[in-house]
Amino acid sequence: MMKLAVFWGCRILTSQYAYEMSIREVFPKLGIELADLREAVCCGDPVKSINNFAADYLAARALALANETGLKDLLVPCSRGHFVLSEVNDSLTKDETRKRKITDLLKGEELSYDPNVKIWHVIDFLHDRVGLEKIKKALEKPFKGLKLASHVGCQTVRYSDLGRVDDAENPRKLDELINVLGAETVDYPEKLDCCGAALTYSHLDAALSLAGSKIKALQDLAVDGLVVSCPACQMMLDAKQKDAGTAVGAKLNLPVVYYTQLLGLALNIEEEKLGLHLNQSPVNQLLTKISA
Amino acid sequence: MSLIDLMSMAKPNLKSREKFLARLGGTELVNCFQCMKCTSGCTSLKLLELKPHEITKLVRLGFVDELASSDIIWACATCLKCVQRCPQKASPYHVIMALRNLAVEREANVPEAYLKAVSQILETGVTAPVQKVTTKKMEVFDRESLKLPKINAPKESFQSTFLKALEEKQ
Repeated sequence: MMKLAVFWGCRILTSQYAYEMSIREVFPKLGIELADLREAVCCGDPVKSINNFAADYLAARALALANETGLKDLLVPCSRGHFVLSEVNDSLTKDETRKRKITDLLKGEELSYDPNVKIWHVIDFLHDRVGLEKIKKALEKPFKGLKLASHVGCQTVRYSDLGRVDDAENPRKLDELINVLGAETVDYPEKLDCCGAALTYSHLDAALSLAGSKIKALQDLAVDGLVVSCPACQMMLDAKQKDAGTAVGAKLNLPVVYYTQLLGLALNIEEEKLGLHLNQSPVNQLLTKISA
Repeated sequence: MSLIDLMSMAKPNLKSREKFLARLGGTELVNCFQCMKCTSGCTSLKLLELKPHEITKLVRLGFVDELASSDIIWACATCLKCVQRCPQKASPYHVIMALRNLAVEREANVPEAYLKAVSQILETGVTAPVQKVTTKKMEVFDRESLKLPKINAPKESFQSTFLKALEEKQ
């Protein structure tokens, strides 16, 4: 059995419960044990705008908490968290003084930073480590006749110098993970468009317009649903879908689900255990189609 | 705010520029040859008129003070496309983030939501309070009723250490 430490970040633990529920259901079913960190802390993402040093401290602290588990693999299901934790390793490698200062701060808390932890996202862990073949074998209810679209999330794939989850301009892994469940995926011009989540801090209307335009474009393609794998993207595209519709002057009704929810359905896990009742977008449309 | 607006308002300040470039660490910014790949792919160009290549140019011309007090630096969606695509590794995203940090140090117009997030982290370790969620059928759930494990706040030493980190000038 593989064992994996998990850094959930803020958004999953405080509001995007469906992602946490579905990961906690799906991973053990694929033979992966999850170990939570001792504390729930911020990765430093919003703090990057305020004070980069303090953001690096938070990120290094999260990694230090991961070290405490003694595990060498860390799952970070949030795209933003995955980026921030990946970038801190890069910035502390390049800047010895900063590294020393942060190590000292952490020492005061009896924590030690060690970059030798492999940081995984749900997408690359399932695709590269578990593997498509193993997922295929584990399926109990593969899909038929579904047409889905993927939204990978900006920070999972950029910027490549840090070593990211997938190719920056033509990410395929999430599509392949959907395909292995028996569903078709579409390529669409807006695939790499941002959900706008980070702009909710300063420009809510613009943020909603970004999410709205993306969903609108997908509705015109008549897909059965959109698959995401980041709590910030899900918040914009699912929870705020109605507001996003108002922002772009369109009636939006596109089912949006986490990949782990979709995988859970194909693994024959009950809908409620996957938190599907928590999605705000019209997921019933999709569920009806799946059970038909 | 356009490049012309900012330039007509002030004189360049080369001292601020040198300090700012030192803060950025790398010197790649000066290698920018205004190819505009950043701006042509910018998520915030259409809606908020963010033009990353102009920001880079303004820094080079010495208008750092004006940029730090301008709203435009808060229009970045942090999608990282400009970092990815910049052929000169001048990375407008990192320039913008450094300008935001400078704006905070100077107590310029910082969107309140960022400051709120920081005080929430100080208080609880995470950026937002643990929320109850309402389903489409108007049922209310929290972590406990969803059978999710309790989450633990960071130990006491965290608050003072994070405060110390926030005092660090760059």
